[in-house]
Amino acid sequence: MQFWNNIIEHAMLGTGKKPLSTNDVEEAMVSVFETISADVTADNEDKFFHLASVAFNYRQTGSLPQHIKDVQEFPAPAELLSYCSTAAANNLKDILDTGSNGLLGFWLQQCFTKQQLVPPALIPILLNKAVQQKNLRHLVTACCGNCGIWLSQFNKDWNFSTTLSNEELWQTGNPEQRKQVLKQLRLSDAAKAMEWLQQTWPQENANTRADLLKVLSVGISDDDMAWLETIKTDKSQKVKEEALALLKQLPSSAIVQQYWQVLHQAINLKKEKTMLGLSSKMVLHIQLPEVVNEEIFKTGIDKLSNNKNFTDEELTIYQLIASVPPSLWQTHFNASPKNILQYFQKEEAHKKFITAFATATVQFKDNVWGEVIAQSEEVFYAAIITLLPKPQQELYCNKFCKQNEAAIIDYATKRTDEWGAELALNITRYAADNPYQYNRQFFNQHSHLLPASIIPQLQNYQPKEEYYRTTWTNTSEYIEKLLALKQQTQQAFS
Amino acid sequence: MHLTEEQALALAPDESSKKAGKDLSAQSKWVSKGMNDQALWGECQGSGSKPYQTQIDITSIAFKCSCPSRKFPCKHGLGLLLLHAKQPGIFTDNEPPAWVAEWIGKRQVRDEKKAEKKDQPVDEAAQQKRQQARDQSVEDGMEELLLWMKDIIRNGILNIPGKEETFFTSMTKRMVDAKAPGLAGMVKALSNTNFYKEGWQSIFTDQLVRIYMVISGFKHKSGLPNLLEDDIRSAIGFTTNQDTLKEQQGITDTWLVLSKQTTEEDNLTTERNWLYGTQTNSYALVLQFSVRGQGITFSLTAGMAIEAELIFYPSIAPLRAIIKRQVTTNPVYSINGMSDWKQVSEAEAAINSVLPFGLERPYIMQQVNLVQHNKQWWLTDKEQRLVQLKDNYKNIYILLSVSGGQPLDMAVLGKENIYEPLGVWVNGGYMEL
Repeated sequence: MQFWNNIIEHAMLGTGKKPLSTNDVEEAMVSVFETISADVTADNEDKFFHLASVAFNYRQTGSLPQHIKDVQEFPAPAELLSYCSTAAANNLKDILDTGSNGLLGFWLQQCFTKQQLVPPALIPILLNKAVQQKNLRHLVTACCGNCGIWLSQFNKDWNFSTTLSNEELWQTGNPEQRKQVLKQLRLSDAAKAMEWLQQTWPQENANTRADLLKVLSVGISDDDMAWLETIKTDKSQKVKEEALALLKQLPSSAIVQQYWQVLHQAINLKKEKTMLGLSSKMVLHIQLPEVVNEEIFKTGIDKLSNNKNFTDEELTIYQLIASVPPSLWQTHFNASPKNILQYFQKEEAHKKFITAFATATVQFKDNVWGEVIAQSEEVFYAAIITLLPKPQQELYCNKFCKQNEAAIIDYATKRTDEWGAELALNITRYAADNPYQYNRQFFNQHSHLLPASIIPQLQNYQPKEEYYRTTWTNTSEYIEKLLALKQQTQQAFS
Repeated sequence: MHLTEEQALALAPDESSKKAGKDLSAQSKWVSKGMNDQALWGECQGSGSKPYQTQIDITSIAFKCSCPSRKFPCKHGLGLLLLHAKQPGIFTDNEPPAWVAEWIGKRQVRDEKKAEKKDQPVDEAAQQKRQQARDQSVEDGMEELLLWMKDIIRNGILNIPGKEETFFTSMTKRMVDAKAPGLAGMVKALSNTNFYKEGWQSIFTDQLVRIYMVISGFKHKSGLPNLLEDDIRSAIGFTTNQDTLKEQQGITDTWLVLSKQTTEEDNLTTERNWLYGTQTNSYALVLQFSVRGQGITFSLTAGMAIEAELIFYPSIAPLRAIIKRQVTTNPVYSINGMSDWKQVSEAEAAINSVLPFGLERPYIMQQVNLVQHNKQWWLTDKEQRLVQLKDNYKNIYILLSVSGGQPLDMAVLGKENIYEPLGVWVNGGYMEL
């Protein structure tokens, strides 16, 4: 097509600068060129257009496909699993139309559990979804099968679906991928995770070191203590703080033991005589020892109180109680958790320390104390919920639902299993009174957690404020639609 | 009527209608429903006391609803069609209520009236005078356009990307004033050249040359075949009277809708429907225009096969057509695609040799595969002949995913060596891409 390139070259420069010559055209066009050039009535531009028209048609009429023998075809590997049903595929399309990532995750989970695949036409849509929704990536990758992995090689944004081994990801992945790998390994083989981290530790920069250290809180144990003690002297302040935070989670670490040394001297039960010496009772004595190891104030314990309800001494004791395992008190007082809490409840001045026990319970994930606090206290501690056995979690939430809705919604939305009907209704009622905060977007994200059994009761509740009623009617209709889609998903995979 | 859910949804004027239509495709939303050979109808309970009466002429897919929506079709029409696609068995009532019978009757009367209207005499002298005046106006406009093009080519196209927008828009407007809307469109296409794309110079020159051929052809029309003259007039923007066209005998066939491409500009929606005649092995382009959702006569959707009589606009290489009569929708058809790209290039050469300024055409090809070669995407046939995939083809990943890198029968649109896939046959059915 050199002749056409020559024509374009002349078109670019202009006929005023460079007129066409016979050398510019193919041999077959020479006679036409000569005829056109010989036309004395036409100007240069006319001649150019005339010849370009002939060349244009010569080019397009003579256009042939290229014949290349060594072009490699690269078919996708065969699928080992079967595709989902048409009903399930249609249901998926409807879910994608709503934009509900919650329902999408639910659909993918069902598909994955049934070991089925999405139809090929939907694979690019799902891979694009997974670019934004990182939490869906593993399910999308699984449900898109071999075709998804094959397809992802053509689009660098879909690299996540390429199945790299954990070790490869740890060595070559981005910071987020590396954190995920470390977290996964920490759950399955904590010692190996520690080994990997120690191997690359000298090469990591300070920020990465601090980020990766955070992951160690998953599955932390005394085995980690020796190494954590060594990095307490790291050059980076961030790393030091993270190491200290991790050591504070270990009951036998030096720092926790240091706190306990102070506390067990400061808080004691003493027998006091009553009724003119005829009987006696156990009374709590709380007072810091005269000499307190000043080192503790360099580990995050505040020395001075800025709260009028706490003296400096009380604040120190409060922080220390919150930083030691609550189980230590059982041995110290030779009493059950329930009795220990009762000692603190007896006197008004001591009640203020009870929330510190709740904090310690969460910090050291003490389920026994968690249950006791949940049962015996009339105060709601959101962080305790997850320490309770599953059935009690909902009972606890429903008991304290009023006034604590936001915290309970925060807990509930982190769950992956379906809510009970009572909890779901408590939450939707609160949403009805706050329709702008808990709008379609909220339910798009979390509707998969709602049980379909609440559909008939959704419309029964009316918001307290009359001007919210129309908004709530629209939202509740939308929730109904989402729940109907959830039911269809369940049916499609049943 | 055999429309799948996807085909029914493709009739929706916008995304919100699709969603609303889906919501109304539940049996519980419909107070009554029925169907016979001519119509599909139902009553949908809306927010008012009286249900909306929705009816569909299933022979030519036309909608009517008593709701106040300006959308066409409305969500009720879509919902009813979707319900039928999902559960055809529940439409057991085949006795049309009065409001359905009345509408269907009116449609028949209107068709008859149209036929009568055609018989009214026309003032031929006045018509000829108007025609001459228009020809003169067009010729004057063409002279100006040619002068403008000569200026461009004399100075060279190198500086064209830096030109102000008005450089093109003023000439576009001049062509509209000269009653040559086709040429106005061609100038607009010139201004739409992507000057950031490598090789824009060739694309720009191609378009200049096409305009030149149309102008030159019009000037020398007396020596050209009548049909080519019709093509030239059509490219300039002279319209063909559709009523006159409809008087002709058309081609009745089962037409498969290969693709429906919709574009919107200045409130005008243009629907480009690419059709394939399954028995005549011919291709057609049916254009439909609508303003704010009104004006579409036939509801077509990709993958739909319609039994219809089409009349082609006069052309030396006929492609554009109108639907004279749609009998019914018909899912039974077979395709007879070309076996390799060589056949396509031969067909193209035959067309280009008689109609040099024609645009892209559709073809059905057997067993085409999408392959990568020298960092470019190509469509290869079983003889390992390759044509280039159109740049930035938006459905490349869907095509890859559906084909899995295996050859498929494919409908394509293009010319010379660049094509874009319109749809593929998978699992025995046609799927638009």
